[in-house]
Amino acid sequence: MDFFPLWLSLKVSVTATILTVATGLPLAWVLALKRFPGRDLAEAVVVLPLVLPPTVLGYYLLVLISRQGAIGRVLDAAGIELAFTWRAAVLAAWVGSSALFIKAAQAGFEAVDRRLEQAALTLGRSQWSVFWSITLPLASRAVMAGTVLAFCRALGDFGITLMVAGSIPGLTQTTPLAIYDLVQSNRMAEANTLSLIAVATVALLLMGIGRLARLRF
Amino acid sequence: MALSLEVRKALPGFTLDVAWEAGDEVVTLFGPSGAGKTLTLQCLAGLVRPDSGRIVVNGTVFFDGALGVDVPTQRRRLGYVFQGYALFPHLNVRDNVAYGLRHLTTSTRRERTREVLERLGLADLASRRPRELSGGQQQRVALGRALAPDPALILLDEPLSALDLPLRQALRDDLRAVLAEWRTAAVLVTHDFTEAYRLGDRIVVYEAGRVIQTAPRAELLWQPASERVAGIVGIRNVLHGTVLKATPDRIQFSWRGQLLEAVNSPTRSYLPAPERPLAFFIRPEYVRLIRKDRGSPDPGHHMNLMQGRVVGEADFGTTWTLYVRLDAPGAPAQGEYDLEIEVPRLVYEILDLARDRQWQLSIHRGSIHVLPSS
Repeated sequence: MDFFPLWLSLKVSVTATILTVATGLPLAWVLALKRFPGRDLAEAVVVLPLVLPPTVLGYYLLVLISRQGAIGRVLDAAGIELAFTWRAAVLAAWVGSSALFIKAAQAGFEAVDRRLEQAALTLGRSQWSVFWSITLPLASRAVMAGTVLAFCRALGDFGITLMVAGSIPGLTQTTPLAIYDLVQSNRMAEANTLSLIAVATVALLLMGIGRLARLRF
Repeated sequence: MALSLEVRKALPGFTLDVAWEAGDEVVTLFGPSGAGKTLTLQCLAGLVRPDSGRIVVNGTVFFDGALGVDVPTQRRRLGYVFQGYALFPHLNVRDNVAYGLRHLTTSTRRERTREVLERLGLADLASRRPRELSGGQQQRVALGRALAPDPALILLDEPLSALDLPLRQALRDDLRAVLAEWRTAAVLVTHDFTEAYRLGDRIVVYEAGRVIQTAPRAELLWQPASERVAGIVGIRNVLHGTVLKATPDRIQFSWRGQLLEAVNSPTRSYLPAPERPLAFFIRPEYVRLIRKDRGSPDPGHHMNLMQGRVVGEADFGTTWTLYVRLDAPGAPAQGEYDLEIEVPRLVYEILDLARDRQWQLSIHRGSIHVLPSS
């Protein structure tokens, strides 16, 4: 049996989750604490990937990153190929899971007592320092929960990945795509094994969230 | 320390427009809730940006609307004790106190933290989290955290309001001692006059976004600038009479059919024309009851004599408050009664006030305080 899809899924999901946290933290912070014109629009754009059909999302992404697309042209000029590579699968997972992370982290930041941050400022600390020493630690449960949710979502992406990365065995075929292929070719035993591993991984992670939620200061 | 503040800030349904100054002392901002006291502190600390005005501390301009100066909070370096303390829940006592010492080297920081914890009697609690502390201990940690960086000025927003009453009184004196010991100038916000009086050298009285009087605390109690200040400060027996004759040292006036005489203020004598209305107050504990077993009252000693009847009373434990209605025609000045009188419990018992209700009263002319008309 071929375990490459599991290995690829892990690589894609971990990379995508790192990307999600790195880009989502500042965005969640801005959405939680700052009032600026166009904020409602920004909120809507963030949530959009959650409610759009994955294939629609995948289609637009493909248009953007194909050689004629706005992003694809720039990448092409730089000699980077994105569409139908494992990196495209990372992009797909990132787009699909960011909203879950941002919403969770935003709620976490919003729940922090603003007076604690003000107190930190009066004690001579910069905004940057206050974020790392007060805001983030106090929102850490929500941020961790968002990270786990985003990872699970990245692990399970099907539609967007299929559109932008294809389902090339040994190259871009992640676990969900492989399971689909196995079922199509009636290799039920292998489909079963992969599915069980996927379920077990996600279940363990979700149990981890449950433990985190019970942690208190 | 020298502080001068002039701030205007318009919020929906509320406008703050205040100006006051302070020196090396504890200033209390006193007034009812919603008068703009906390907002003033927030402007001072740079947490709220005024619409216009000027804030100068020790020669440093923190804010100047006209010049566009607005020093950010983290560079103002003022101590701020928040209402409810706002201790960092994820840090222990030691790390809370050390939080503002980031600019020091590790060893100096450790040394300073230990010193602060020891001076405030928190050394044994250093490893506790805030939620494991009592209200009084939390207050100490908040003080320690604000004082540790040695600010020139410390701001305290209702530092005692989170505490239960008995503890509150004990910690009030405690706080006074700490502020005196650390020799830090302070601006303290409270809506409790006893607290304002006990803790402040100077009191700034707020009402509806404005300052209605700034004075050393004793002056505020004995010479409120207006009837409104008297009301906010909680002065009782604020009454209205009609002027008969005013000279620089005496004011004669009539009230409830009585002819009364008061000492005019030596510092700001007040000379209203005859027939003018006049507001004055008589402190309840300064009304004398004339003992019936000592012969007839001596007019030279007993001024402003009146006859009245106790129509109500209230037991405050160590003191009794009596509500007296004068033997005079017409409606009483304060609803059911004319004067509120406070007597120590011992006096209440010796004079058998529980049974004996008819009394002759006297008020020394120095105990009738005339209020400037507002």
